[in-house]
Amino acid sequence: MEKERTEVDDIDRSIYDFKDSEEGFYRIKEGLTKEIVEKISEEKHDPEWMRDFRLKSLEIYEKLEVPDWGPDISGLNIDDIVTYVRPNTKMSAKWEEVPDDIKNTFERLGIPQAERESLAGVGAQYDSELVYHNVKDEVSKTGVIYTDMESALTGEYEQMVKDHFMKLVPPTDHKFAALHGAVWSGGSFVYVPPGVKLDIPLQSYFRLNAAGAGQFEHTLIIVSEGADLHFIEGCSAPKYNVANLHAGCVELYVGKNARLRYSTIENWSKNMYNLNTKRAICEEGASIEWISGSFGSHVSYLYPSSILKGNDSHAEFTGITFAGRGQNLDTGAKMVHIGRDTSSFINTKSISKDGGISTYRSSVTVMPTAENAKASVSCASLMLDDISRSDTVPAMDIRTDKADIGHEAKIGRISDDAVFYLMSRGIDEEDAKAMIVSGFADPVSKELPLEYAVEMNNLIRLEMKGAIG
Amino acid sequence: MESRQLQLKINPLPTLTWNFLKLNSAVIDETVTLNGRGKSTIQNIPRGVIVSSGSCEECGGCDISAIQDIRQMKTGLGAEADAFFEEVTDDMLHIRSKKNMQISEPLCISYEFADGDANAVRQEIIAEEDSRLTVIMDYTAGRKNGGFFGVQTRVKACRNSVVRLIKINLLGDSFLHFDGIAALVEEGAKVELLQMELGGGRNYTGTDIDLAGYKSEFAGNAAFLCLGDQMLDMNYYIGHRGKKSLSTLGVKGALRDRAVKNFRGTIDLKHGAKGAKGNEQEETLLLSDGVQNKTLPLILCDEDDVEGSHGATIGRLSQEMLFYMQTRGFTEHEAQVLMAKGQLNFVRDLIGDEKSVGRIQHYTEGVFGDDR
Repeated sequence: MEKERTEVDDIDRSIYDFKDSEEGFYRIKEGLTKEIVEKISEEKHDPEWMRDFRLKSLEIYEKLEVPDWGPDISGLNIDDIVTYVRPNTKMSAKWEEVPDDIKNTFERLGIPQAERESLAGVGAQYDSELVYHNVKDEVSKTGVIYTDMESALTGEYEQMVKDHFMKLVPPTDHKFAALHGAVWSGGSFVYVPPGVKLDIPLQSYFRLNAAGAGQFEHTLIIVSEGADLHFIEGCSAPKYNVANLHAGCVELYVGKNARLRYSTIENWSKNMYNLNTKRAICEEGASIEWISGSFGSHVSYLYPSSILKGNDSHAEFTGITFAGRGQNLDTGAKMVHIGRDTSSFINTKSISKDGGISTYRSSVTVMPTAENAKASVSCASLMLDDISRSDTVPAMDIRTDKADIGHEAKIGRISDDAVFYLMSRGIDEEDAKAMIVSGFADPVSKELPLEYAVEMNNLIRLEMKGAIG
Repeated sequence: MESRQLQLKINPLPTLTWNFLKLNSAVIDETVTLNGRGKSTIQNIPRGVIVSSGSCEECGGCDISAIQDIRQMKTGLGAEADAFFEEVTDDMLHIRSKKNMQISEPLCISYEFADGDANAVRQEIIAEEDSRLTVIMDYTAGRKNGGFFGVQTRVKACRNSVVRLIKINLLGDSFLHFDGIAALVEEGAKVELLQMELGGGRNYTGTDIDLAGYKSEFAGNAAFLCLGDQMLDMNYYIGHRGKKSLSTLGVKGALRDRAVKNFRGTIDLKHGAKGAKGNEQEETLLLSDGVQNKTLPLILCDEDDVEGSHGATIGRLSQEMLFYMQTRGFTEHEAQVLMAKGQLNFVRDLIGDEKSVGRIQHYTEGVFGDDR
């Protein structure tokens, strides 16, 4: 009898892969020109300074080169990308007012249900604009601001936005940060006042429905002194035969003794170029925790950065990347130690199968001022077949002697010894292998809120079947 | 005598990463006046080893295919540095161990330099089938001397042979030094590389190992000590092509004062290298505020039935260790010197040649003696 090789199934994408009509949507023409940037600014009723900022960013974009490292992005042609698509609705704070097809999309993704059951506030972006934003009354009463970026930009928080917008990720950072500065649209603004601790998370969900479009949402979060916030971000898109682009930007300001946990489950479709930039800066005694699951995209460049500016500040990054057929996911993290007694910890897992390519890339920089800095990096990669690829590229740049830095990495397949051990304890082989792969992903899933851990398990769906291959 | 403006990209990574790290390669922009000075001495030639210089065709003793293999090897210094060696020196030292000869006595080659000497040399080492060969090279100059010394060493370890290559850098603190190494390792063969990087002002070492054969093996161990304004830039590339090939790389050392060290170490587990295992470990002791250490250990993996791992520990002497040693009567400085020597001894003790060990001992005592 022919033996069946042990298989790990691809991620089941059926719950994400549905498309809605764009009838009645405003769609700017493809490409990137000064006229297009001016038109976006006009459509969004930008204040003067933002219009100037966009045009300056466009100038920078034109001067910068695409990266000469990382996965190939030659299939991405900005002249084919529509940088702004506005759905035919205004933002609402009531689900009933959201158009049926868009509402159904978010219903199918489980967003309203999650809001009812376990979230303090929700923002839902569809293509380039937010269509729904709501925050629970008891959260509003604490002084927490959770609103869309456009409202923040023209309302009473304009100065706060102006003081922080793209100060952490300047348009000069790299070409796609400049692109973001020129055409950004949508995203969330969060302000948590001093001492306010939110027990339940806020969540933004980004859905890109339009074919050949880009999504450039901007998330700006300011957590004041002694405050505490958990923010969750989710994203998905249906698959098209043309390239889509996501070049979002996340800027996180974590005040003195404040704590911010930022969780992301990224599940873009496999025609997506995900060139996202995320950065946090921590003041004295502050703490940033990144939880990151990267499952989707055709190509990803994603390295959340933590700048530990204040003394005693701390950063953690826990991530998992699953690269399947047609995917080249280049993910990791950056840590910059500036303050004294700072500490950072990176713990990542990656899985490659069906010809997928996963690359773990990181940097830990310890500046001369960062006395008594401690940093630890741990990355593990699992190869599930011999047609896939997995690389690790971790760098450390240490500029003081008063530091303790540790790093370890491991690449391999499912250990025969571990399978044998489990089998010797009475577990059959397919269950043993399933257990090992589940255990491999466990350090990340246990850090996620329950409903997201369930989603992640749905995403991975590590089905082990048959006998030995 | 000819002055050359060297503008080279040296020690390139096999795959690029962020440019801001400045680790994708090192850039050389210096004027070098090659004068061919410097004395080389071969102390004795063990029985079973053939040493010749000049063009290989004159010797006529080698298998032509082995020579062709060796000529095509790229060192870890990269294509631009390899082209530089081709251009500046025709002189080639050929070293060969005869088939089935198990040679326990090492072949020792010493290069001695005075202030202002500038020279580039090349060696080709072929260990024929089932032979065993040890080659020790040391490069010596006065501590305060300056100059240039470039050395390129290519090794072919034929089937079931063992090559031990030992390199000891005791150059002066103002020397610019290139050390390019390439090795092709056939079925069942092993290349063992021991490096003591102690001297030299600006040191660039690049090693490229091709584990081509079934059960081929590489064991690399390097120790370094960088003090004052010394700079050491290291690049290791270990390509696993052979099934069940095995590699280990251990790098240990200490940095003090304003010293700078860059380490790049790549284990490339290529498609088809089933059962291959690669491991690299780096340990750097930081002894002063002004030091700078960059470490980039890569694993590239295109095969599932393999194991790749790396680890790095970078930091100061642990407070617990320091306290323990202070309770035993050591000052903090003495404890640091003791630990730095410990890092070096890990490689020194593997050399197995008393004269070489004595030279290293003499050099390190001199360096640490200056602290008293």
